[in-house]
Amino acid sequence: MTDPSDTTAERLSTRPAARLRSLAWVARRIGGGLFVLWMVATVIFFALRLIPGDPVDAILGGPGSQASTEAVAHIRADYGLDQPLIVQYFLAMAKLAMADFGTSYALKIAVAPYVLTQLWSTLVLTIASLVVAWILAVALTLVTSGRGGPARAVGSGLELLAAAVPHFWLASLLIIVLSNTLHWLPPISVPGPLGLILPVLTLALPLTGFLGQLMRESLANAYEQPFVVSARARGESEWGVRFRHVLRHAALPGISLSGWAFGSLLSGAVVVETIFARPGLGRTLLSAVSIRDIPVVTAVALLSALTFIIVTVATDAIDRIVDPRVATQ
Amino acid sequence: MSAPRILLLPLAIAATAALLAGCTATPEPAAEPISGGTLVYATGDAEPGCLDPHVGGNYPQALISTQYIESLVSKNADGEIIPWLATEWTESADGLTWDFTLRDDVTFTDGTAFDADAVKTNIEHLKDPNTASSTGYLAVGKIDGIDAVAANQVRFTLSAPDSALLESLSQPWVGIQSPTALERDQATNCESPIGTGPFIVTEWVKQQSITLERNENYNSAPDDAEHSGPALLDSLEWRFIPDAATRYAALQSGDVDVIDNAQPNNISSAESDPATAELNAPRPGASNRLELNSGKAPFDDERVREAFIRAVDVSPGIDSLFFGTAERSYSVLSSVEPDGVSMPDAFTVDPDAANALLDDAGWDMIDSDGYRTKDGVRLTLDFPISTNQSIPAEQSLFEQIQASAKDVGFEVNLKPTDLSSWYGALFTNEYNLVSAPYTKVGPDVLRILYHSDSIIPAPSGYYANLAQLSDPALDEILTTASQTSDAAERAALYEEAQSIIIDGYYVLPLYDQQNHYLYSTSVEGFRALPTVSAPTFYDAWLND
Repeated sequence: MTDPSDTTAERLSTRPAARLRSLAWVARRIGGGLFVLWMVATVIFFALRLIPGDPVDAILGGPGSQASTEAVAHIRADYGLDQPLIVQYFLAMAKLAMADFGTSYALKIAVAPYVLTQLWSTLVLTIASLVVAWILAVALTLVTSGRGGPARAVGSGLELLAAAVPHFWLASLLIIVLSNTLHWLPPISVPGPLGLILPVLTLALPLTGFLGQLMRESLANAYEQPFVVSARARGESEWGVRFRHVLRHAALPGISLSGWAFGSLLSGAVVVETIFARPGLGRTLLSAVSIRDIPVVTAVALLSALTFIIVTVATDAIDRIVDPRVATQ
Repeated sequence: MSAPRILLLPLAIAATAALLAGCTATPEPAAEPISGGTLVYATGDAEPGCLDPHVGGNYPQALISTQYIESLVSKNADGEIIPWLATEWTESADGLTWDFTLRDDVTFTDGTAFDADAVKTNIEHLKDPNTASSTGYLAVGKIDGIDAVAANQVRFTLSAPDSALLESLSQPWVGIQSPTALERDQATNCESPIGTGPFIVTEWVKQQSITLERNENYNSAPDDAEHSGPALLDSLEWRFIPDAATRYAALQSGDVDVIDNAQPNNISSAESDPATAELNAPRPGASNRLELNSGKAPFDDERVREAFIRAVDVSPGIDSLFFGTAERSYSVLSSVEPDGVSMPDAFTVDPDAANALLDDAGWDMIDSDGYRTKDGVRLTLDFPISTNQSIPAEQSLFEQIQASAKDVGFEVNLKPTDLSSWYGALFTNEYNLVSAPYTKVGPDVLRILYHSDSIIPAPSGYYANLAQLSDPALDEILTTASQTSDAAERAALYEEAQSIIIDGYYVLPLYDQQNHYLYSTSVEGFRALPTVSAPTFYDAWLND
């Protein structure tokens, strides 16, 4: 971008140029994020009306209602369901643009505060799972990633197994072993940290497998790098090499993957929250979809999308900080 | 009506009575009841959207509202209507005027007095379109006028005689709430409804639990309760645990005391667990049965309907898939309905007869896949299945039905969907077979399900007559029965109606609407209220 011969000018201009680049990057990400949110809202709006089932049913307490003509007409008018679809769409988008999420058809309460409380519960679950997965993955790879040997084979095998296990099966297994047989933990997500352990393990273990596999590969690559040889030549201990030099490199792809991982945790939350009877966005979404509670479905989808966008932007930003090469590419 | 069926009637009644006695008997208390403690109940039913059972009106609402809202009348284990908030009632000779005498010593938990005005406000609330009531609205459909004659006297004027009025009024969806509370906006009343019941809703943490505290001033227990005065438990915690395996695990671990919607495999393993007991309380109204849609081909031909019923043998599947926890039904009505008639002879399995009937009906060609055809059209039956309503064992049973129907050349298309899509398929007449449970107290459910008026969709698209049975003679009998208050005469009419439905091959009964509770043996005095078989914890106590 700058003339390589004019080093002074380069030094002077690099910072503002970099700042501009960063600002443009942020603006692009925000614009893109808003576009994604709009598309999510649009797809949800039409998808929920294309599948069979009348939203009036949700308002009347579930499908199969035999309410009177007056009651149904009253509800259609009240919720604007008597308008043409395209009018309903633009009205809905206008309200969403003003952050008005409306009232739940089934619960008759304001959607925004309700969904926000559910979000908190899901965030606790997913963030805890992400942290636990990281800790387990780092520990497992560091301990077992010598150069060859049976430890590596065992570690790699465990990771493959963990990554392949579906959430619902793992959840049942954990309940049977830790709860029904050993009586260590409650099978349901009781309030408090004790009730968080099984749901977090269910979400974290498969992710540990993914992260572990990824880090194992980059670790192996990092071991081949010259700086490892120099570190060893300096007399650095084996653990010193692993912690201080290799891990930093090996973690990079893991950080990038965490954005995707967070998304997968959000979808895993649907299963885990249902099995462990834990409040949260996933369970809210499941019940709202099944009764066509459109305002709640829309709010949950938008909130999940927004959370995912924020996390992705954050991991990208961390990437740029940890590895400045990313920013200039 | 043939002679053997008349002989069967007393047998059916005796069997019903025995079953009722069996399912409502509580274990003899080991000691004097102990007051105090919190009982944790875990439900697998959906979380209600609104705790006021007037709004909408579904079974999850009935389950919980039974704890805090009471009705004018109740039903005892023998199926008799008994006084509750109303102490006595009289019906005029023409059946159009009903006078109810109300208890004068009952107050709602917000301090409002229970009186005739309160009853009037409640019936009006049910009829108000703003309430958006469905079940309760139907139940009070014939009530035209309500007059508070005196503080404890209320008069209902009906548009037509209604022999099902008391049964309708016994249902939780017609429960009586504080008129003061009903004046609040709907969202508030949904969150904290006020009744006269033994418990009071104090907190609702969505997706998690509802907390109910004991009503210290409670004095309106129905006659069939074990004690009087306030409940024994300090409080109830009502948890929502949608996953059946988790619910059972939570019962085993002691985290919860009582669970509903227990699955056959869990009920079977609980039998060998001394710490767990079972309460089998079938829901009233209709049995769980397959409806054969006679409104369109191929089931518009009675021979094809009979062929289907002769072809499929459901009994062995019920025995094995339900681990012996569900008894085969041969009745359109639930076994808890005294007027239900069991007709096993009508459901003999005979594949040869089925083949002959199909040949006779013109379905005499076989295509390359082994299915029968007629004029190049395959003998196909669409069978939408609601995965919300049909438990895994039932879905497996439907797969067995699919396999045995294939043996005589039916192609059964099982279409598992979620509840809304399932109703969508029914509303657009895209089904030949369907299993649609219907809960209502009393045999008048037959009128709702099989009167030709019920083919006309409600404003929401719903119609209850899914067999699309249209028979003027049956309509006549059902209408007469709904206006006949003489018990014996009414029972005879309903028996005739059931004969027409079954002899026309419109239904294949499977079993009662399954409603199994499992509970820790430390829970004493727990029973299901015989109205809609919802649990009641008024007499319950913890024997730790």
